[in-house]
Amino acid sequence: MNIALAKLVQSISPKVQLLPWSPITSSQIHTSLPLCRIVSGKYRISKKRDKPLTYEMANPPHYIAHRKTWNSWNTSNIKGGLRRSETAIEDEFIRRFMSGTWHGLVCSEVIIKRQFNHIRVAAIVRRAVSPTKMYFLLGYSEELLANWLQCPVTLELQTVDSFQDVVFKYI
Amino acid sequence: MYSNIILSRRWPQFTCICRSLTTVEGQKLPQSSKSTDGISPPPRIHRNPTDILQALSATVGRDPTAAHFKYHDDPYLIPLSNFRKRSYALSAEAGRKAAAWVRDEHAVWFTTREWDPPSKIKTPYFNADPRIDAYAPKPIYNDESKVTEEDLKYTISNALLEDSIKVFQLLGGTDTINDDLKLNFLQLLCFCNEKEPDSLEWLEENWFSANTRERQLTTWKVGGLADKIFASLEPKTPEAYCALILGMAKHYQAERAYALTQEAIEKGIPLSTNVFNALLGCVGFMKEGTALRTEELKKLLSQMAQLDLTPNDKTLSACLRSVSAWGSGKMLQQFALQIVTEFRNLGIEPGLAAYYHLLCLFCKERGPRVDILSDILNNLEKREKLIPKEPTDTNFFITAMGVCNDHLQNYKMAERLHALLMKGDNYKLVGDAYKESIYYRHLVTVACRHAPFEKTTEILDTLVPNVYVPEPSVMEEIIKTLEIAGAGERLAQAWSQLVVFGVAKRVKLVERLLNAMCSCYDHQSDEVKANMRTAACDILKYGQRTQEDGGPIATDTLRTPMPKLSANAVTNVLQLCSDVKDNAAPEWEVVFEGLQKLRKSEAAGVPSNPQTLANVAQKATAAGKLGVAAAAVQYLAENGFEEAIAASVETLAAMLNRPREDIEAMLQQKTADLDQSLHPSAFAVVEAYNLAKTGVGSSNMEASNNSTSSESDSDTTSDDE
Repeated sequence: MNIALAKLVQSISPKVQLLPWSPITSSQIHTSLPLCRIVSGKYRISKKRDKPLTYEMANPPHYIAHRKTWNSWNTSNIKGGLRRSETAIEDEFIRRFMSGTWHGLVCSEVIIKRQFNHIRVAAIVRRAVSPTKMYFLLGYSEELLANWLQCPVTLELQTVDSFQDVVFKYI
Repeated sequence: MYSNIILSRRWPQFTCICRSLTTVEGQKLPQSSKSTDGISPPPRIHRNPTDILQALSATVGRDPTAAHFKYHDDPYLIPLSNFRKRSYALSAEAGRKAAAWVRDEHAVWFTTREWDPPSKIKTPYFNADPRIDAYAPKPIYNDESKVTEEDLKYTISNALLEDSIKVFQLLGGTDTINDDLKLNFLQLLCFCNEKEPDSLEWLEENWFSANTRERQLTTWKVGGLADKIFASLEPKTPEAYCALILGMAKHYQAERAYALTQEAIEKGIPLSTNVFNALLGCVGFMKEGTALRTEELKKLLSQMAQLDLTPNDKTLSACLRSVSAWGSGKMLQQFALQIVTEFRNLGIEPGLAAYYHLLCLFCKERGPRVDILSDILNNLEKREKLIPKEPTDTNFFITAMGVCNDHLQNYKMAERLHALLMKGDNYKLVGDAYKESIYYRHLVTVACRHAPFEKTTEILDTLVPNVYVPEPSVMEEIIKTLEIAGAGERLAQAWSQLVVFGVAKRVKLVERLLNAMCSCYDHQSDEVKANMRTAACDILKYGQRTQEDGGPIATDTLRTPMPKLSANAVTNVLQLCSDVKDNAAPEWEVVFEGLQKLRKSEAAGVPSNPQTLANVAQKATAAGKLGVAAAAVQYLAENGFEEAIAASVETLAAMLNRPREDIEAMLQQKTADLDQSLHPSAFAVVEAYNLAKTGVGSSNMEASNNSTSSESDSDTTSDDE
């Protein structure tokens, strides 16, 4: 389907003179082979078998809703859902913001749950900085995200002593 | 694709909606119902959007075992001491402030979307639908801004004082604005006294500065913008007069407020009750002396009556506020009661603020004990709900609890008051975090002093540490109570609480705790005794541990060096720890360490009960710890205690397992002969005996000292005295 879309874009572009920075031409459309079903979302075994995986990483995608759950909880992606693209972009923004603001501290996936206009962001962080600094970051992230997304944002963090605590297995 | 709804599938739904529309909304609902078929639905109750949420939340009380909701629910992030509570709350708020700064500094990025097509990038965009104003960046006004009256309206309605002054100046001052807007602006200026009010958003910071804020000073800006605007208003409306008088009275510019009031009355301008309330509040600034002030107050009240103004509950609390601020004394108290009765006759019951002022007036710290609180509680308990009306209302509970504690010293009353606070929605009247902690300080203190022990422990278990962390003074009270009740287990726990609450470095408290532990050690069960011993060992080690953390050199340069435990405290530890029969128990090491501490004079002073040390020596000998026993006796001898001679004889008798007479005979011999024949520890005791007897140590004191310690079971080598 992606390939079809790419062809569509190619067929449009010579006729309609698009500006060079136009979003359609500048965004790269990702096309992938049917192989994706086999490898995507799965981790390759390392030579020394010492690659750490969290529980979330250790379970391949087909275990979603069986052994693990979704990383984004919202109603945009169900049939008739609203704001699909916006939600996707906002979620990506929240994830990048979290990993950048809590730099080197987040040791799990960032889970984003939306209920009504309330966004709850959950993650596991390392106890590498003092609680005081964590509280500063908490207040900062909540307020900034709330202002950016213009809805209440709550951070639901859990702390672990080190990254080792979230390692489920080594492959 | 989904737009063309197939109606046939939606038909039942549609009919259902139609039916509901006709039956529910279209029909007239029975008001005072008298139905034909005997079934009468109750009249419709109009609900607010949040009513259901409030009903739900009312079913869930506060969980005292959880931290306050402003803290993050994670073991690492839950604060357990007062210092941490404060610093965490402030840190979170600092973070929020930083974010707000970023938002205001880069307001553009928060309302436009970078990923929109270039033609739309600059169009303001609001993510939320409907738009939530609280999340939108605030407009910035500077000298270049193009402003309209709308901006002024916006800034006034949002109480942005600095901005509204800026906009007002940009609009061209007093000449260009219509009178309505000018009046609104005047009201804002009078309310805030041309000073940006404290933001409601930064609660934590505000309660830090709360103590310094409430000063009764004349702060009104004479000839400021408010006066100018008032002068420019023509004709001067009653509202304008009221606003200006209220502003002046609020900021204690009493004389001008009075003059203006007289002017208004002479001109026949109607004034509001609020104006008189404010004037009643600053009578004290007008007159000196109680008699003159009461006269003035009465005059104002009768003036109100002349002008046909109905007093309200704020009038009452304003009167009482004035009266309570003038001092104390029978006369004022009588006067205050008169006022209250007078208002009762008018059907005005005093509110919490009025009661607060009454308590201030009647219950002085050094005054005679007046039980006015029980009447107040009787009255308040009858009310279905306490409705907050004034900011001073939040002072009531903390003052009343203070009265229970300091003035009445009555736990029953405190219990009733606490029950009242916990009833229904009343907890919000406790005030901010600072007031809350003072309230609980009073409650816990009064419970410790005057409540039965079970009640005290119940209160402590629910409140500490999540709701309230005891301050050092309160902790001392708690330890005292535990000592009197002889609760050994709780005393042992109290040590770990001291560490967690960050007050373990307070020597006075630790010594108090050790005393308490010693005095109720004897009648505890074995298990509790073991716990108490562990706690005592830990106390002795605690100082060393913190010193080691800082490094051996850094201890002196620390800003707050760990203060020394007194010799008495160390003796107490020794007494507790030496109560073990087992030779291999870890307590003996601690005992030896403690003795070394005493001998190296690392503890302040000398012990007041040296007999304890003699007992330690006895017990050590009995347990086969000869080195420890020798060290104890040596310490006694070195410090010239009388007990040294008896102790050394006893110890030797026990060591050598011979009767006392033999020992005394043996001690008469020459020291040199004994050196070869005796165990080194026993010889050390002989040395100590001689030292105590003659006051001079023998020549090989040093050598014997060294041999003692090398022989002793502990691995530390003692330094020489």
